[in-house]
Amino acid sequence: MSEKKVITLICERAADLDSACSASGEVKDVEGLHVVKLPCSGMIQPLMIEAALKAGAAGVIVTGCQIGDCYYREGNRMIRERLLGERTPGLKKNVDRRRILALWLSRPQKERFLSEAKEFVNYVRKLTD
Amino acid sequence: MYSSIPKGMTDLTLAIEKAVNAVLTNKYNPFYYHGALPQFYLWVLFLSGLLLFAYYIPTIDNAYFSENLVNAWTSVDYITDTLPYGAVVRAIHRYAGDAMVITIVLHALRVWITDRYRQYRWFQWVSGIVLFLMVMFIGQTGYYLVWDERSLILTRMTSTALEAIPFIGPGLKTWFLNGGAITNLTLSNFLFIHIGFSFSLLFGLWLHYVRMTRPVITPPPAINYMLVAVLLVFVFLVPVTSGKMADINTQPTSFEIDWFFLWPYYLLAHVDITTYWVLIIGGSVALCLIPLPSLYKAAHPVEPAEVVLNKCTGCSMCAADCPYQAIEMVPAPSGSRFKKLATVKAYRCSGCGVCVGACAFDAIDLPNLLDTDVTAKIKALAEAQ
Repeated sequence: MSEKKVITLICERAADLDSACSASGEVKDVEGLHVVKLPCSGMIQPLMIEAALKAGAAGVIVTGCQIGDCYYREGNRMIRERLLGERTPGLKKNVDRRRILALWLSRPQKERFLSEAKEFVNYVRKLTD
Repeated sequence: MYSSIPKGMTDLTLAIEKAVNAVLTNKYNPFYYHGALPQFYLWVLFLSGLLLFAYYIPTIDNAYFSENLVNAWTSVDYITDTLPYGAVVRAIHRYAGDAMVITIVLHALRVWITDRYRQYRWFQWVSGIVLFLMVMFIGQTGYYLVWDERSLILTRMTSTALEAIPFIGPGLKTWFLNGGAITNLTLSNFLFIHIGFSFSLLFGLWLHYVRMTRPVITPPPAINYMLVAVLLVFVFLVPVTSGKMADINTQPTSFEIDWFFLWPYYLLAHVDITTYWVLIIGGSVALCLIPLPSLYKAAHPVEPAEVVLNKCTGCSMCAADCPYQAIEMVPAPSGSRFKKLATVKAYRCSGCGVCVGACAFDAIDLPNLLDTDVTAKIKALAEAQ
């Protein structure tokens, strides 16, 4: 298989992808889209995103709950600010911003996630530096 | 996740909030400021109450004035009928109280439906219940102050109910009436309870907020304008009026009930006093026990974050970002290259990992999910062909 992988870092309380994923965490409909669950999107370190891109991933999808509604109060707002460079630690300057997608979706919004993710996966795989 | 709550209820709440987001945007969604709504009505009550206080006279007869009958009822009457905008201020004070009860109940419901009331949050829940009971009692004393016939019945019912409590009952009744019977001193005591307790709400609110970093108590002004607008609609559509002036020598028997504050009196009128106290005290204790950990065996326990002592540089970023004030910066031990060291207060920690995301030095970890493991997994996934 040659297609590059896309990694999804997702809050376990955001869009519920359990039914859309295989046991290994790969989304069934989209080949090469892997899901890594975290207790809160606030736990995502910009270093994790950089590590994924460095290791050869085509892109990274960051997903948290709807902005304003975080089970742990502020987690999604914090990773959003980190991605936008408004809060330390942020992403390094040389990270290709086109390869990062942030989605803020509540638990029932699985379909929305899948449609956005499909579009994004097609987009990043066509990118040439 | 949300294990103790019916899944459909949480999903419905999330769906409603999503719909409101579509109309008002996330920034102006009142659901995201549900705790700040009663807080805002509290400020409205303080301000309107201050204005009413300037003209209120807490007596039941004209003991201090000889020419006209001047007492609590006539002073309220003066505020309502003669004073410019007096009726508006009075109605704002009354309906802001009702609105506060409604918003408190909505706040508690959302917190319960989204499973945000237990484990490391039990303290906020219990202090919230105590605050709610205080608000109920303060609101009821407000109804005594008007001194119409309803006030007289309520005062008599309360003193009878208090007297029936074993051991401390007679003392409570004397405290409540400020003496053995209803006199001028009784109303000054009511006024003191009404205002004094209101200020002690601020202390209770401090306890309610103390475990939260950046508590959401100041929504965007647009939401406050909306709350005031809702209030004013009722102020002008349903003006507040008093009943007949209370006469201490009469025995009025029925009154119009306000379901926000006076429902305990409905209970009191329909069950005997022992049952009433068992229900009220038992109900309050039961509400406080809702977050009891032994009720939720299925839920996964919190594993507090741990600081990697030799990596921590004392930069304070985790302490600044922690949503629960669970990280305290302490002086670093002697011999350290750095001035400070992060420490985790395990009883406050939610195990959310926001501190892991905040740490640029890999110096804080969730014991059940190491960030090095997550990064290794991500790398393995990205490299796999």
